[in-house]
Amino acid sequence: MTNLQTRYLAEFEMPRVVPLGPNLYAAAFFLMKLLPARYILERALERGDICEGTHICETSSGTFALALAMITARMENRLTIVSDWALEPTLKRRLVELGAEVEIVTQAHPHGGLQKARLDRLNEILAQSPSHFWPRQYDNPDNPRAYGSVAAKLVDRIGQIDCLVGTVGSGGSLCGTASYLRLLFPDMVVIGVDTINSVLFGQPDAPRLVRGLGGSVIPSNVDHTLIDEVHWLSAAEIFQATRQLHSQTGLFMGPTSAAAHKVASWWAAHNDDKTVVILMPDEGHRYADSAYDDDWLNSKVPRWRSVCSDRPVTITNPHADLAQWTRLEWGRRPRSDVIAQSL
Amino acid sequence: MQGVFDDACFQRYRGLVTFPCRHLQTHAIFVPNSSHAVTISPGTKEKARRAAALTLRQISRQDQGGNVEISSTIPIGRGMGSSTADVLATIQAILDRFDVAWSMEEIMHVAVEAETACDSTLFSQVAVLFAQRGGIVLEAFDRALPKIDIISVDCEPSATVSTLDFEPALYNEFEVEAFKPLRSLLRRAVRQGDAGLVGKVATASARINQRFLAKPRLDELEKIAAASGAIGLQVAHSGTLVGMMFDHLSPNRDVSIERAAAALEQAKFSFTTFAA
Repeated sequence: MTNLQTRYLAEFEMPRVVPLGPNLYAAAFFLMKLLPARYILERALERGDICEGTHICETSSGTFALALAMITARMENRLTIVSDWALEPTLKRRLVELGAEVEIVTQAHPHGGLQKARLDRLNEILAQSPSHFWPRQYDNPDNPRAYGSVAAKLVDRIGQIDCLVGTVGSGGSLCGTASYLRLLFPDMVVIGVDTINSVLFGQPDAPRLVRGLGGSVIPSNVDHTLIDEVHWLSAAEIFQATRQLHSQTGLFMGPTSAAAHKVASWWAAHNDDKTVVILMPDEGHRYADSAYDDDWLNSKVPRWRSVCSDRPVTITNPHADLAQWTRLEWGRRPRSDVIAQSL
Repeated sequence: MQGVFDDACFQRYRGLVTFPCRHLQTHAIFVPNSSHAVTISPGTKEKARRAAALTLRQISRQDQGGNVEISSTIPIGRGMGSSTADVLATIQAILDRFDVAWSMEEIMHVAVEAETACDSTLFSQVAVLFAQRGGIVLEAFDRALPKIDIISVDCEPSATVSTLDFEPALYNEFEVEAFKPLRSLLRRAVRQGDAGLVGKVATASARINQRFLAKPRLDELEKIAAASGAIGLQVAHSGTLVGMMFDHLSPNRDVSIERAAAALEQAKFSFTTFAA
């Protein structure tokens, strides 16, 4: 396998750098996951973990699945994606057209929910394939490691960076980019944006409407000791922000991009001598029938238009019941320390 | 900055950007004689002798004997590129004697052959990212590095490191990727003449390389640098020197240098100051 076969989409991997204000820049990706997907596959090929006939399997219902399918479209290897009902029909059609086999799990695990049921199914498939590779974006250190080239583009275009803001899902993009930038700017502030009811930074686990950030299990790729400040946003706030980002800046991005933008704009306005960069993971096309559809929003989040939040509430106990935009000074502590100190 | 870097075709090389120090110089004179062998004085400069023989062979004068006299103000074995300077001065002295003109590439080719790894000393007009073991320029930056004053601190005054004995660093995958933003920021720093950013790149590189050729008391030096207003630290890739860097154009330069010198004195470091 040569670089040509894995890197032909390289031009799509890098973000566009968009100056949004005197001290505020967006790093707007077409499909951010193309970068870690390519990097993970390339390293696996180098180490011999993927050879001819290796079956690549992953559980995902989002952009990581799409990125894997786009890159493996030119490879001979089988790709299986395990997903659940949340996989949108349009995305499923694309995955299938790209040659991926899509397995839909319908029955939730009695204790571990759909996430556990998907993992169980994935393990069954892996057991059937003597030669298999599981990219494991949540735990594979190659995911955060992929972001050195993003850090490179940002410093080439912007120079000194004082604050990096991004949503946290697998932890790859924010922790990866931050760890590279911190080598150059040890004092850089890192702000993680999560959604209410996500356990990543200590919220109690409960159903969440917005995909692509937060989670019910803590990925090992989230390095809590890199994070200075955590913000939680409600679904209504995130969807409203998505529409405002589009109407006010012209950037047609997904909900996670808007969540990061909302927090970053506030921080940048209060620190006008600091240069702030926002990671924006994907474009809005996938959300045309959800976040960008008034009827869908009105039925799912009736308050999305009227919610009014222009600043966060500050708390010290991450386990608190939250209804609106909230922040906590994380202070680069391990997660267990923050939980213990708030009891 | 020193690490591993890709060329335009994703080919990976060990590379470095060195800091020019115009105050330190090496002179060489080639005096032909009737013998068939080349000698060097002082006689310990074996790499220069090899370079002389290689150069004579390249210009088809392999039977020409003579003596190369080298005089240098560059400290030896401190990572200041003394042997590269010896080698380059020797090659140039022979070329001058026989009125031959070589391209920089031809000179570097012989220098690398004589030395295994050599510095980018020849390139003085613009800063270059240089593959020291291949003798090729991976990237030529837009301009020279901005003017920086250096307090050169010797971390281990009793030790010397030979380029040939030095085991090349085996960078892990994170470090390999980390050199990409370092290189990018240096490119921007040179483009904009921003000494402060050069200092950040040098410091980051020093920290990464600390795992391979540890400079004793680097942490202590970092504290002194931060407290005195230095812009960063640069380390000798093979050697025992740490350079504390000061922006030559900053209005606070003199105060910062004085403050750093006092702190170094108190901490019993041995050091020399070089103005840009």
